Amino acid sequence: MWDYIAERHAQLLYQSYQHLSLVIQCVLLATVLAVGLAVFVHRNPRIAALAGGVSAIGLTIPSFALLGLLIPLAGIGTATSVIAVTFYATLPILRNAVVGLAGVDSTLIESARGMGMGAVRTLLRVELPLAWPVILAGVRVSAQMSMGIAAIAAYVLGPGLGSFIFTGLTQIGGKNALNSALVGTLGVVLLALILDALLLLAGRLTTSRGIRV
Amino acid sequence: MTTVDRGPDTSRENVADAKAAAAGLASSRKRRPGWRLLLGQPLFVAVVVIAWAIWRSQADLDSIEKRQLDWTLLGRLTLEHLKLTVVATVIVLAIAVPLGIALTRPRLRRAAPLVVAFANAGQAAPVIGLIVLLAIWLGFGFWTAILALCLYAILPVLRNTIVGLQGVDPTLVEAGRGMGMSNRSVLGRIELPLAVPVIMAGIRTALVLVVGTATLATFIDAGGLGGLITTGIRLLRYPVLISGAILVAALALLIDWAGRVLEEVTRPRGLE
Repeated sequence: MWDYIAERHAQLLYQSYQHLSLVIQCVLLATVLAVGLAVFVHRNPRIAALAGGVSAIGLTIPSFALLGLLIPLAGIGTATSVIAVTFYATLPILRNAVVGLAGVDSTLIESARGMGMGAVRTLLRVELPLAWPVILAGVRVSAQMSMGIAAIAAYVLGPGLGSFIFTGLTQIGGKNALNSALVGTLGVVLLALILDALLLLAGRLTTSRGIRV
Repeated sequence: MTTVDRGPDTSRENVADAKAAAAGLASSRKRRPGWRLLLGQPLFVAVVVIAWAIWRSQADLDSIEKRQLDWTLLGRLTLEHLKLTVVATVIVLAIAVPLGIALTRPRLRRAAPLVVAFANAGQAAPVIGLIVLLAIWLGFGFWTAILALCLYAILPVLRNTIVGLQGVDPTLVEAGRGMGMSNRSVLGRIELPLAVPVIMAGIRTALVLVVGTATLATFIDAGGLGGLITTGIRLLRYPVLISGAILVAALALLIDWAGRVLEEVTRPRGLE
């Protein structure tokens, strides 16, 4: 296996980079979308409940089915995997953002208003910072899920380490099949761990000091 | 951790957890999922499937598409998909629930966090990689797919069994003991019934995970509706591809609904 890695380290590094960059970009986009949407709906409990329901139903749909549905629209390749990964990444963040914003103590919002803060300032300085740890937990869930979905998306020629896994599948019986699949799988696990550590670190740095441990 | 951080969602760290949180555990906290959703979901699925069936019976398909979308073939693929889902879920139940019970008994209690951590770590592996590796190791076929599905779906049931049993109020257990119940009847008549809603939420999560993942079973010749999607992609036949995607999604929604109904039906009547 070491020979295999040594032989292909350039390709391996490139695909790892592609995989990580795909996931990070999609999760970032998903965070922006989900938090924006949550801010928009969280004041109305009924729409917020609907958002929760959509999130639950959306996660029920198998990722491979969604990829299939997207191909006629976005073609085979990167666009399809970006849309699919972003779709699934949005759902857990949306749910957590709604829960987090709903969990902010209403007396705190009241006092912010009493101090003369407007709706936007209350949101930015009180509600979002207090909901941030919960939102971030959603982001971590998203990131890990996206890693797996990005691997599946390699079947429709999305970028990333999934291509090693599918190479292993098509070359089954050949001498490098196991190496290829193993390198792809372990690579995804490794990237998931690295990204999770980065997100934990980002969480420490971005959590408001008042509610930090 | 702080009070805000202590939210019910912070400990969830992986795919199963995401789905558990979004699909299962959330509704276990709610008292009732609402009958509108319970009726709306199968209704929506029915509308989609009927619309698709009407399209299928009238569409102008070439010979390849006709062969791929033959009614009997579609029926067979759906049955294969269901078989994968049901067999894997039953095996998961048979392993995870007793294991969960064992891990909450005093003798093994200390091992519980360890086992859950191990299962959690395993969940980080991409499922497609797991399937391919198992296929290289054990060969293609139905039982390899079942093994992969089971490995993937065991965590939510195991963890929910442990969490559900740990969540039983100890004073109730004490009361049962005080009434002269044996260990076994305390477990069977107090602990398990009280933990059923949480365990069922885990089972539904497992069902949803399995039905989605079974789509990938086609890669290792284990059948299922995923075959339509791969064929559609390989031959670039959009009607086949989209039919496959629609049917898989419909089946997943239906299974999810069945899990919801099961959750409602099995909830002990004393718990409201």
